[in-house]
Amino acid sequence: MNAHHRATRRALSRALSRALARPFSTSSPKPSGAAFPLKHVTKSNFEPALAELRQHLRAADFVAIDLEMSGVTSAPWRESLEFDRSDVRYLKVKDSAEKFAVLQFGVCPFRWDPSTHSFVAHPHNFYVFPRQELPVDGPSYEFLCQTTSIDFLARYQFDFNACIYEGISYLSRQQEHEALRRLNGAYEDTLSDTRCNLKEVRDVRLDRMADILFTERIKNRFSEWRDGLLRDRIGGFQLQWNSNDSKQQFQTIFFKMRPAISLTGFTSHQFKLIQWVINKHFEDLTYVHVTGENFCSQQLVVYTESKDDIDLLMKEVKDEHRRGAEMKIQSAIGFRQVIDLLSSEQKLIVGHNCFLDIAHVYSKFLGPLPLTGEEFVSSINKYFPHIVDTKLLLNANYVLQQRMNKSSTSLSSAFARLCSQIAFGSESKGLAFLQPVQVEVQVDDIRTSNWNSGAKHEAGYDAFMTGCIFAQACSHLGIDFKLHLPSENLAHNEKLYKQINHLYLSWTNGDIIDLSTGKIEEPLGTKYPKKQYSKILFENIILIWGFPSKLKAQEIRQCISKVFSPTSVTSVYHLDESAVFVQFSKAGFVSDFLVLKETLERSDGPISVLHPLAKLLEGGNTRAASYEIYKDICSSPISEVLFADQAEAVGIKWKTQVIEPKLAVESQENGSFREDNAIRNVPKSAENSEHNVEKDILSGHCEIIDSLSTAEANQVSTNNL
Amino acid sequence: MAALLSLLPQRRCLCTKSHKKWSVKQVTKTNFEESLSEIKTHIAHSDFIAVSLQRTGSVSAPWHRFLPFDTSHTAYAKAKRAAERFQLLQFAVCPFSIRDSKLLAHPYNFHLFPRDELKIGMPSYSFSCQTSYLTSMAREGFDFNACIYDGISYLSRAQESAAILQMRNPIPITHVVKSSSTPSVADSVFIERIKSRVKYWRNACKDSSGNRDEPLLSSLRKLVLGTEEYGSRPCMNIDVCSERQVQLVLEMLEEFSDDLVPLIIPAKGGATQAVRVILTSSKEDKVLLQNELQNLQEEQTKKVRGFREVIDLISASHRPVVSHNSLNDFTFIHSKFLTPLPPNVDEFMCSLHLVFPHILDVQQLMKEIGPLRKVTNIPTAISYLKDHFFAPIDMETLHQDTANDGKIHGHNVLRIAHLFAKLCSILQIAPTESGNKSLVPALEEYANILNPCSMSPQESTDGDISIWTNNTRKVSCEHLVFLWGFKRTMTAGILKSLLQGSHDVFSEEFDVRLVDKSCAIVVFWKPGLSKTFLNVMNSKEICGSLRELVSEGLRAACYATYKRVCSLGIWEADLAESLEKALEEPDCLRKTDSGTNPLEVYWFSDLVINLDEL
Repeated sequence: MNAHHRATRRALSRALSRALARPFSTSSPKPSGAAFPLKHVTKSNFEPALAELRQHLRAADFVAIDLEMSGVTSAPWRESLEFDRSDVRYLKVKDSAEKFAVLQFGVCPFRWDPSTHSFVAHPHNFYVFPRQELPVDGPSYEFLCQTTSIDFLARYQFDFNACIYEGISYLSRQQEHEALRRLNGAYEDTLSDTRCNLKEVRDVRLDRMADILFTERIKNRFSEWRDGLLRDRIGGFQLQWNSNDSKQQFQTIFFKMRPAISLTGFTSHQFKLIQWVINKHFEDLTYVHVTGENFCSQQLVVYTESKDDIDLLMKEVKDEHRRGAEMKIQSAIGFRQVIDLLSSEQKLIVGHNCFLDIAHVYSKFLGPLPLTGEEFVSSINKYFPHIVDTKLLLNANYVLQQRMNKSSTSLSSAFARLCSQIAFGSESKGLAFLQPVQVEVQVDDIRTSNWNSGAKHEAGYDAFMTGCIFAQACSHLGIDFKLHLPSENLAHNEKLYKQINHLYLSWTNGDIIDLSTGKIEEPLGTKYPKKQYSKILFENIILIWGFPSKLKAQEIRQCISKVFSPTSVTSVYHLDESAVFVQFSKAGFVSDFLVLKETLERSDGPISVLHPLAKLLEGGNTRAASYEIYKDICSSPISEVLFADQAEAVGIKWKTQVIEPKLAVESQENGSFREDNAIRNVPKSAENSEHNVEKDILSGHCEIIDSLSTAEANQVSTNNL
Repeated sequence: MAALLSLLPQRRCLCTKSHKKWSVKQVTKTNFEESLSEIKTHIAHSDFIAVSLQRTGSVSAPWHRFLPFDTSHTAYAKAKRAAERFQLLQFAVCPFSIRDSKLLAHPYNFHLFPRDELKIGMPSYSFSCQTSYLTSMAREGFDFNACIYDGISYLSRAQESAAILQMRNPIPITHVVKSSSTPSVADSVFIERIKSRVKYWRNACKDSSGNRDEPLLSSLRKLVLGTEEYGSRPCMNIDVCSERQVQLVLEMLEEFSDDLVPLIIPAKGGATQAVRVILTSSKEDKVLLQNELQNLQEEQTKKVRGFREVIDLISASHRPVVSHNSLNDFTFIHSKFLTPLPPNVDEFMCSLHLVFPHILDVQQLMKEIGPLRKVTNIPTAISYLKDHFFAPIDMETLHQDTANDGKIHGHNVLRIAHLFAKLCSILQIAPTESGNKSLVPALEEYANILNPCSMSPQESTDGDISIWTNNTRKVSCEHLVFLWGFKRTMTAGILKSLLQGSHDVFSEEFDVRLVDKSCAIVVFWKPGLSKTFLNVMNSKEICGSLRELVSEGLRAACYATYKRVCSLGIWEADLAESLEKALEEPDCLRKTDSGTNPLEVYWFSDLVINLDEL
């Protein structure tokens, strides 16, 4: 398969099955009506929709979710590959979740209605857009778009305008804390030095005649006003300005129980001058700048009785500022309120092949993704204690595999297969011996048992399909919803217990991650369909890149086999056109190869030209390294299209990374967070492994010291602290 | 949803009113063909071409924008990063002529989307978007759906060559250039063998054309002769091993018969795999086939090039290209439509010059008018000129009849043309000479200056034009020092007063400005003090309050470090972070960037880098 096409495998397979599903849905007889649209939620109807969703979530038995993203992989070689160790796989998911944006978020609560013996589903389709609502000091908000993904969405008439114009923005928990912390910091700074802003105004220089005249006039005006106030103290004050014009510019009002003048119609320069005049000439007047409730700013000069009163006033103003800023932060949380609801309700969350979705949820709404998979898993488990994946459910259970009759477990084909009564609006054909689970759909006040959204496959609809599949799967597993009490949590049902919190870390090689323990498991089903390779031994793998582009995998294998032995190379696998993995039959060959390459490159004699490896080293740009370097390259935030360019951009300048074989093996075994089997029961911490990597690099045995990029070096060193 | 969609057009209406009188032709996939031939004639009849680009983002952090102390090298590095990262969504082109006080303009606005039309992973695997850019485009009523659904795709020149290799379409050969070398024995043997094969095949085809064989027999015959069909005509493939053999086969075919048409079948990697020979029934038929092949190829190239046709038209016309912010525009143009950007500015300028010999940046002309030096906003500049000079320009656009009211995009290109005409009139430059299409000498001195760095490219914040007080001072880069590691809430004034008492070097005249919240730049007006200061910072004798500042984290670096940050591409959000990383990098690049570079920048004593705006 073309590398490029693999990029959007997930998207395309979905597209394909959607396309296939469509003719069915139109050809099958559709009984009466029921073609009302999904509940679309944008920023204009977010508040009421949230209130409604809160009720539905509280009552729900489970919640299905689905996300549409602006892309999946930032470079072709970042796709999921067979040769990805689980820690590398996590790094690839992390890269994807960090770089791409969530454009749509489907949430569909399902509630069992005992009166009708059916589920009631409330599909919601949220348009999400990472608009920058708060002024943040730091980088501007940026996200990546994968051209093929955007084009794919366009083919399904995704409404980009709705997303960008009306999408709901959000703050992650971490961003919110950061904003509040900064606000508090600023608040305390100003509290401790209430008149600090005076310092800045002191710089005003009166160069221009106009400024001098203006300040003179202002000074007179205010002393007049102040004197007026003092004079009429007892009899209430009425101040008469001379002209109408002035009345508009200087309006007397009350501010915080004090007489004040509201200033309007001046330029920013004039405001600065007024502030300067007030601070310089009037002890009992204070210049303040407030932001009103409707976010319009107001410049005021307030009369204060004493020095204490000034401090009191300043505190009041600052408290108000702070309240306003806090409200702004509160309203900027936006879509995250939905995620907080999902988390606080602790309901069972259902997704379809949803590891990437969950990583997006974490990075967008909680905080930056942790460096290792273990940390990620343990903190996601705190926020969402019960997650179930329908793709895994369908593949893991024998009964369900039978029901699926070996058809694809993609979302829409599973939906068409298991929930035909919903998908086609007809009574279950072919599966008549099963009791189909009835699902009624409610959007606002319309409710129907026979819903068809018009085949508009959007996140909300995909979430609905996922939920239907789950309900049907539960029924096949023998869960009888009629006996199910609303107080029971589905997540604790013994029939589901084995699959709860298990997700495919990678569908490509079938690795499953257990969110509650962080353990990686081999495929659960006996015959995993995609597993073609025998067990991959990562310490036997070498990574080669930058070789002449015309070389094919077969030629590379021949080259290397000639040097070592005909059986020395187990497999050669193209990462992309510029790089290959070579798996040797034993780990010793890895260092042998690296040492040999180094020697050949140093000598210029006829031996190196005639050597079988010369073909591979032609051009002088061939680089080779152990599997750990692949992991380092994957963890870089850079994404060049070709792997060879990526390695260069990451800062690898050496040609061969020579490593002490013993050390290398040790570090590789520690380096992964997988626990393959019982050989090594003691999980070593990630810091430990990082340390070893660094030791390799820095150890005297390295012929050429260097070089991770500075970013990597930093990471390593900080981990060591 | 319906309610939502009905909101959008309303929004758009709000902005249309002010621009109703000028209409810009909006071009998408659907009307690209017709617009292309239209703009071709307009370009041929015009004197200048204005361009204006709409991108998905520009700078990720405050210090990534062009700053007054940037040299052409650092400015190019910044522009390069943006051009490689972001995407173009609209490209407005306006061929125009100026006749006395009349501006004749033909504005077009092309909507672009880097769709992978040929399924070969080009032109762009992915691109970045800045949400603030998309939001402000939305505010102007930009239709993202139209752009993504119907935008025109393109391939750069470099990508086209790669795509042709990748697609491996047969290439028709029209003229065979005789090789001068005499054929060797091996050549003669090869030619004779091929000749007899072709002869036999040709005769067999001619014979069998009359009688109707049984299906089995005819398929056997095909198998034996190695004949295939190209459309309705018979053809055969001749495998070749070298380009020499290709040449020989082609020469032989031309001598041999006039009813054979050769096609070259490329191999993977650019070489030739085979020569395909197509047999035509007559001379007329041969011409017919050749035309067919020609059209097919043109069709293919059009599909491959897409919007780049317009760029090629502009380039081929040799018309001066007028732009605003030309360094940004032309780094984008170079990277999206020509070849990937070269590593340094000199190579870039050379490469660009070959394609666009005359580039005029209106900002260069604006520098002649003092108060406009700092204005970067086009409407502000136009309104300033309107108020202060009498230079009426009559604008006439030629798409008045088009029915795309409500779409208002691409007006900037008209404003640029307008501003250019006004500036020429005020500066008393006759933009064209009768009968001469090349650049007039008066404009020559403004041409091809892309470096914006002697000016701050920031948008003026409040729309006021600040009056130029002529307080620019030239300062050598050697006298600049970057400082970081101070408290985030520090202002330049406080920092200056802190420094003032901290060491003797600060007893002489110096200035401090904040570059971003993390980093400040210090200029020492007295030569040599910057070096003294840097030495003090690194020495053990450091004492007094400076020592205290340093122990609290204050660090310093010279201008060369900043240059390394840019050339190494260490684009962290905070300049301080980037400078730290550049200091940690090994010294391998230090040699290359000394010496020839211009080492003087301008210092604005009224420079304020406004952080609120970011």
